[in-house]
Amino acid sequence: MILIALLAVGGTFLPQQQEAGDFLHRLPPAAAEWLLRLQLLDIYHSTVFYLLMSLLSLNLIVCSLNRFPSAWKKIRAPGFPVPEGLFPSAGVEQTFNVKEGKDTVVSRLESLARKRWGSVDRQETERGVFLFAQKGRFAHLGVYVVHVSILIIILGAVVGSLFGFEAYVTIDEGQAVQEVELKGGRGIRQLDFAVRCDKFTLEFHENGAPKTYRSDLSFLKDGKVIRQGALLVNHPLSFETIRFYQSSYGMSEDNKAHLSFSRNGVRQQPELVLTEGDVFELPGSQAKGTVLRVEENIMEMGPAVKLLISSPRGDVQFWVFRHIEEIKQMNPGLLNEMPLFNPALFKPYEFSLTRVEQKYSTGLQVVRDPGVPLVAGGGILLIAGLMMTFWMSHRRFWIWIFSDGEGASIHIIGMSNRNPAAFEKEIRNLHAAVRKAMTI
Amino acid sequence: MTHTTILSWVTFIYFAAFVFYLFRTVFGKTFWGRLATMTAWVGLAVQSCALVWRWKLSYDLGIGHIPLSNLYESMVFFAWSIVFLYLILEWKAANRVPGAFVIPVAFLAMAYASIAPGVDNNIQPLIPALQSNWLTSHVVTCFLGYASFTLAFGSGLIYFIHPLVPADKDSPDNRSACLPSPDTLDTLIYQGVVLGFVFLSMGILTGSVWAHFAWGSYWSWDPKETWSLITWIIYAIMLHARLVRGWRGKRMAVMAVIGFASVLFTYLGVNYLPGLHSYLNA
Repeated sequence: MILIALLAVGGTFLPQQQEAGDFLHRLPPAAAEWLLRLQLLDIYHSTVFYLLMSLLSLNLIVCSLNRFPSAWKKIRAPGFPVPEGLFPSAGVEQTFNVKEGKDTVVSRLESLARKRWGSVDRQETERGVFLFAQKGRFAHLGVYVVHVSILIIILGAVVGSLFGFEAYVTIDEGQAVQEVELKGGRGIRQLDFAVRCDKFTLEFHENGAPKTYRSDLSFLKDGKVIRQGALLVNHPLSFETIRFYQSSYGMSEDNKAHLSFSRNGVRQQPELVLTEGDVFELPGSQAKGTVLRVEENIMEMGPAVKLLISSPRGDVQFWVFRHIEEIKQMNPGLLNEMPLFNPALFKPYEFSLTRVEQKYSTGLQVVRDPGVPLVAGGGILLIAGLMMTFWMSHRRFWIWIFSDGEGASIHIIGMSNRNPAAFEKEIRNLHAAVRKAMTI
Repeated sequence: MTHTTILSWVTFIYFAAFVFYLFRTVFGKTFWGRLATMTAWVGLAVQSCALVWRWKLSYDLGIGHIPLSNLYESMVFFAWSIVFLYLILEWKAANRVPGAFVIPVAFLAMAYASIAPGVDNNIQPLIPALQSNWLTSHVVTCFLGYASFTLAFGSGLIYFIHPLVPADKDSPDNRSACLPSPDTLDTLIYQGVVLGFVFLSMGILTGSVWAHFAWGSYWSWDPKETWSLITWIIYAIMLHARLVRGWRGKRMAVMAVIGFASVLFTYLGVNYLPGLHSYLNA
C-alpha cells in the first residue's frame, strides 16, 4: 500500500512539473534565462523529468509485481471447495424447488451450463451436488496489461531518443543534399544517400488559405536516382528507415527565368531555364552568355533579366524584358535612346523572356525513430487493457442441487468483481433459463 | 434559412430543455422531466440534421470535409456529444436529475459558438495539416471523452447540492427525493469518468498516430498534448484512488470537478498558449 501511495505521489508530481513547463514557456526569454540553467525551460528533457519518469516506471513495475500474485490467485481460484459461507445467500441468489429428481436436474443443468459457459466443474458432497462455472476471469489481468503497455510506451520513447534522431533540412528546388541539421543544435548528420528536391508546389484555396504543400523528391545513391516520390503534409515518404515530412517552405532568392532566343530570326530550341549566375552557350558563335540578374518586376515594367554576353568582339550587357513590345509601344524610340533595353543588341541574336518563376525551397523534417513500433504496440495494448479493466468482469456461478422430498431444490449463486447491476440481470436471466430447462 | 440559423435555434432548444430539467428538479413533477427529455431529443435531432446539412454544403462548395475542423464546428460537436451521451445515460439509468447540470454545458457551448466574437461560423477549406483521415477519429474520440467527463462533472455537482436540500421526510414536497441517491451519483461519476478515460486515451493515441504522419513525431510536448496528458493523469489518479484506495462520494465528486476544469483548459485555455493545436490562428 505504501508503494501505491508512492505511485500516486509520483503521478501528482508529474503534472506539476508539466504545468510549470507550460508556465515557463510563456515567460519572455530574458526573464527566464536563469531558469535555463536549471533545465526548467526544456522540462521534458530535463534530468528531473527523466528521473520522475524512471520513478514512475519503477513504481509501475514494483506495484504490479507486488499485486500480481493476488490477481493470479483470483484467476486460478478453483470453484471447489465451495467458498465457506457462500450458501446460503452470500451473493446474488435465486432459489426454487422442482418436482424432478436430483439426478435428472443435475444432468439437465450441467448440459445447460456447458452450453452457456463452455466448461463446468462438478462436485458431489453429502450436502448435494455443486456445479461451478465462470467467465471473464482474465479481467483481473486488465490493469496489468495497462501498466505493461505504459511501460512499453515509455520504453519506445527511450529507444527513440537513444537510437533515433530528429533533424531538419532546407533544400532549394533542383538542389540535392546529403547533410541534415539535428534539432536543438546537436550538430550535422550525414545521410548515406542524397535527397534532391525536384519541384516544390504551393496551392491555395479561394479564400487564400493554403491548400497543398508538395515536394517532389528524388533519393539518390552514388549519383543514381533510386526512388522518386511526392511528399505532402500528412503523407510522409520514407527511404531506408528514415522518414521525411513536409514541414515548411521558403522562397529562394533565386528566381528562374525561362529564356529563349532566335538567330537571324530563326527560333532556337529549346527554351533555357536559368537562374542568376548561370552561364550558357550561344550556338553558332564563340559567345557565352551570363545571367546577371533575374527580376520579377523591375521599375514597374514587369519581369526582366539582365544578360552579359562575352565574345571575341568584347562584352555587352543588356536587359531582356518580358513585355518589351508593350514597353516599345508606350515609349517610341526607346531602344535608340537606351540600347541597354534592346534584347537584340548582340547581333544576330534576339532574346525573349517567356516568364520569370518564383523558385522555392522546401523545409523537410528528417526523422528516424526505431521506437515507433513499440509506442504503437503499447498504445493498442493500452486500449485493450483499459477495456478489459473496465468492461470485462470476472463472473462466477455456483449451482447447488440437493434432494428435497420427492423433487429437488436448486440454489443459484453468482459473484462478480464489478458491475453488480448488469450481473443481477444476468443472474435473473440464468434463473429464467434454468426454469425453462426444468419445465421442458 | 441557413444551417447556422438552425444551429442557433438549437441553442434555444437546449436552453428550454435545461429550464425544464430545472423545473423537474425543483418541483419534482414528472411532467417537466418528460417535457425536458423530449425537448432535448428534438434539439439533438435538429442539430444532427443541421450538421449533416453543413457537411453536405461543404461538398457543394467543393471543399468537402466533415464539420469538425474549426472552433465553431468543434463547439457544436461538443454540445452534440454531451446531449447524445447524456440522453443515452438518462435512458439507461432512468434518472433525469443530471440533466439540469449537464444540458446547460451543451447550451453554453452552443451559445458560445453562436455569439462569441472571433468564432467564425463559415465553412472553411482544410489547411494541409488537417487533410487527414485521422481528423475524424481523433476529434470524435476526444469530444466523446470530453462529453463523458461533462456527465461526471454534472453528477459531481449534484453531490454538492445534496446537503443544501432540506431532507425532511414528513413534508410532501420532499425535494431530496428528486435527487438521485449518493450511491447512484457515485456510480454515475465513476461511469462517466471510465468512459471518458477510455475515450481520452483513444483520442490521445489517434492524435499521436496523426501527429506521427503529419508532424513527424508522435509526441511533441505541444501545450495541447501536454494538457491532455495532465488531464489523463488527473483522471488516472482519480480512478486509482477509487479502485485502490476505495475513495467514494464527495472525494470523487471533487475530483470530477477538478478533472473537468482540466478538460476545459485543455480544450479552450490552451488556445491562448502558442502551439500547433491553437484554433485561433489556424
